[in-house]
Amino acid sequence: MQIAVQGIGVVGCFGAGVAKMRQALLTGAVSPAAFDLPGCGTPLAISAFRADTSSLADFVPLKALRRIDNFSRLGLLGAYLALQDAGVPAAEKQERLGVVIASGYGATGSTFAFLDSFINDGDICASPTYFANSVHNSAAAYISIMLGATGPSSTVSQFHHSVPSALQTACLWLAEGRVDRVLFGAIEELSELIGYAWHRQRGRADIPEMTPLLTGAESAIPGEGAAFLLLTRREESQGGYCLLDRVITGRHLKPGFLPSPLDLLVLGADGRIEKGGDYAKLAKKATVACFTSLYGSMPGSPAFDIAIAALMLKEGKTFDSPGSAVCDFPATVATGGESLKGCCVSCLSLSDDDGFGLINLSKG
Amino acid sequence: MNTKEKLKKILIEDLNLEELTPEDIDDNAPLFGEGLGLDSLDAVELVVIIQKHFGIEIKNMEEGREAFRSVEALAAYVDQRLATT
Amino acid sequence: MTSAPVAITGMGCICAAGINLNDTMAALFSGCRAPAPPVSFTCSHLINYPVFEVQGFTPPPDLLRTCSLGLHAAREALADAGLDREFLDSIRVGVSVGTTVGSAMSNETFCRELRFGQQPDMTMLERIQRSNPAAVIAREFGFNGPCQTIVNACSSGTDAVGLAASWIRSGICDVALAGGADELGRITYIGFIALQITDDSPCKPFDLNRKGLNLGEAGAMMVLESEQVRAMRNKRARSFLLGYGSACDAYHLTAPKPDGAGLKSAIAEALACSNTDPGAVAFVNAHGTGTPDNDRVETQVLAELLPGVPFLSTKGYTGHTLGAAGAIEAVFTAACLERGEIPASIGFSTADPALRGNPLTRNTTFSGTIALSESLAFGGNNSVVILGKGGVT
Repeated sequence: MQIAVQGIGVVGCFGAGVAKMRQALLTGAVSPAAFDLPGCGTPLAISAFRADTSSLADFVPLKALRRIDNFSRLGLLGAYLALQDAGVPAAEKQERLGVVIASGYGATGSTFAFLDSFINDGDICASPTYFANSVHNSAAAYISIMLGATGPSSTVSQFHHSVPSALQTACLWLAEGRVDRVLFGAIEELSELIGYAWHRQRGRADIPEMTPLLTGAESAIPGEGAAFLLLTRREESQGGYCLLDRVITGRHLKPGFLPSPLDLLVLGADGRIEKGGDYAKLAKKATVACFTSLYGSMPGSPAFDIAIAALMLKEGKTFDSPGSAVCDFPATVATGGESLKGCCVSCLSLSDDDGFGLINLSKG
Repeated sequence: MNTKEKLKKILIEDLNLEELTPEDIDDNAPLFGEGLGLDSLDAVELVVIIQKHFGIEIKNMEEGREAFRSVEALAAYVDQRLATT
Repeated sequence: MTSAPVAITGMGCICAAGINLNDTMAALFSGCRAPAPPVSFTCSHLINYPVFEVQGFTPPPDLLRTCSLGLHAAREALADAGLDREFLDSIRVGVSVGTTVGSAMSNETFCRELRFGQQPDMTMLERIQRSNPAAVIAREFGFNGPCQTIVNACSSGTDAVGLAASWIRSGICDVALAGGADELGRITYIGFIALQITDDSPCKPFDLNRKGLNLGEAGAMMVLESEQVRAMRNKRARSFLLGYGSACDAYHLTAPKPDGAGLKSAIAEALACSNTDPGAVAFVNAHGTGTPDNDRVETQVLAELLPGVPFLSTKGYTGHTLGAAGAIEAVFTAACLERGEIPASIGFSTADPALRGNPLTRNTTFSGTIALSESLAFGGNNSVVILGKGGVT
């Protein structure tokens, strides 16, 4: 069954909303900033693409957010923006709306805060609120509560495989008629924990920009944010962006397995040196694009790629791939502003354990 | 600062009641439901807050229920517990 | 929309009541349980809250214990289904696993060292990064189908089974391993005590004097199989997954909606999609955590939607195994259908006049062929599976 992308809600270093994302795609100007990690005992800072949720105040009174942590705020903002973009009033009761969330790391800020609460003050002073917020489905719960979404809700967490896996569930729910609409979203939070892990595992604070299409060079800069899609069945869609034809997940993707026809392959390559070669191999001879430099490296990144691919299909033209001036992939990098030759775009993401996700979109 | 004032400050900070100032909180207003609008999760958080700031252990919710009626009642409870230890 | 039954051809589990399904079922029907203060960790609370730890299970240290519990149950389920490596390599196999601990970047020692400026190395977090439960199982057996780790708190296991049935029906894979896994640890233990929903004595689901849950740990897996594969190897089904339903309360982060609206929707969906007449349900494996709120909402909903249908909670034998709970209870439900008998709901002795119904107090035989297992979760998630007695068709 074909699924239609009705609305997009994105929050990232580029700002909040499709217009901000589009603007960044046109200018290519998004710069990482220093991210201080004061809780690490010694002075430490990394370079990161951070996201700001202050525009959530446009949708809900601050009072309603008092318990809601940064992770869930990112998700809520993405959710509200996607509904707004699709022209669905947030006040409408959403009885047939499903919520599917993908997050590689979950609410690590609250997880850390919960541990802190009893490390600092003793086991008896453990904070129940932080504990509740640290549970992986807290963002899904807050979104359902705030929107009155009483349909099914599910959260998926498996690092870089989370997005394609969760999206497959969203599509199944629509195909089975369990729900009429699904609010699908990826959320990643750059907490101090993730920042420190990044520092230890990657250790480069001096990367000026990401060059994701250059193999053999580490250029990943961590990002955070949320990317949401409001999905419906094709026959119930109105306007909207594009069709989501198929989500394929599995392990050991071989080059010949790319869909045909394929007009543009959006690569999830994000400057992590261990994945660059695999993307290059799979992209062989294809026309490719890569947008990770706009929002940074994070497990939920494929959701941003889908959002950008949907926007390209709606506008019928491509965007430049930022940071692709240096490229050694055996592929053709699409030039921004050109019309999309055909109407089939695929987003490819590779995960640990040789896992892959291939999301096929078309103009419809 | 007396216990009531201290409690109001702590409530605002620890329960993120950012839109309120201590002056906004009526001594006798109910903490839960109408009034401050706290809920069941705040109730268990409040037990931890009292433990953390005053070193007073509220053993169970039955004991807490009376004390959690209002700032006035909570302050009286805290003062009484501090006086008897 | 009516959905076709999906065959369950193999099952496995490990929990405090037993290290495999046979041992566990024997323990359930013998009425034995042994909750005790935690052995694997200590806390500074004045009270020792009893837990259900799996004894004598020492997995290799390179993975989270959660994964080893899941793998242990997966091996039993695959062997039970009679599926060998060679055959599995020739078909598309999916894995869906529910968990809470198995996906969390949470390590107390790491956090402590970081806060005290000791620059912890990444060993502890890298172990977590290697330990995503569904990914571990797919990697271990070389599966190449869909792979999903579901983190819907206490309904995760039920949702994992429901999702796997959808995969089989839609042809995304031929066989799926579905279940849940969660280990017991200090962090969860402290968290549940902070929420004040932990009983300081052995838990008493649906009892007047219930004070909360006891935590447990478990791994539980089911093999779901397409009719084509089953026909090819002429395999009898131990049970059938007939229906699945889920709905969100959209009410509160930690409290169930007092009128049980989400649970009602979930039950209604599961009944409708499996075309099940409520009168045909032989018994209900309730979530039955033993917390005052959960048991009140659950009995009220059961009295309304499935009046007079016997129900029980098996958490008195296993503790609340969180992400594994829905899976292990689906396994129990299928095993009880097979056996035609349900165990007593242990821990219950005094009826609560405020509850609209009491659980089974003795081992009870029945003649029906359909049963329901339900899970209520943190975040307002409610999930239900309906299982049917096995057979050739």
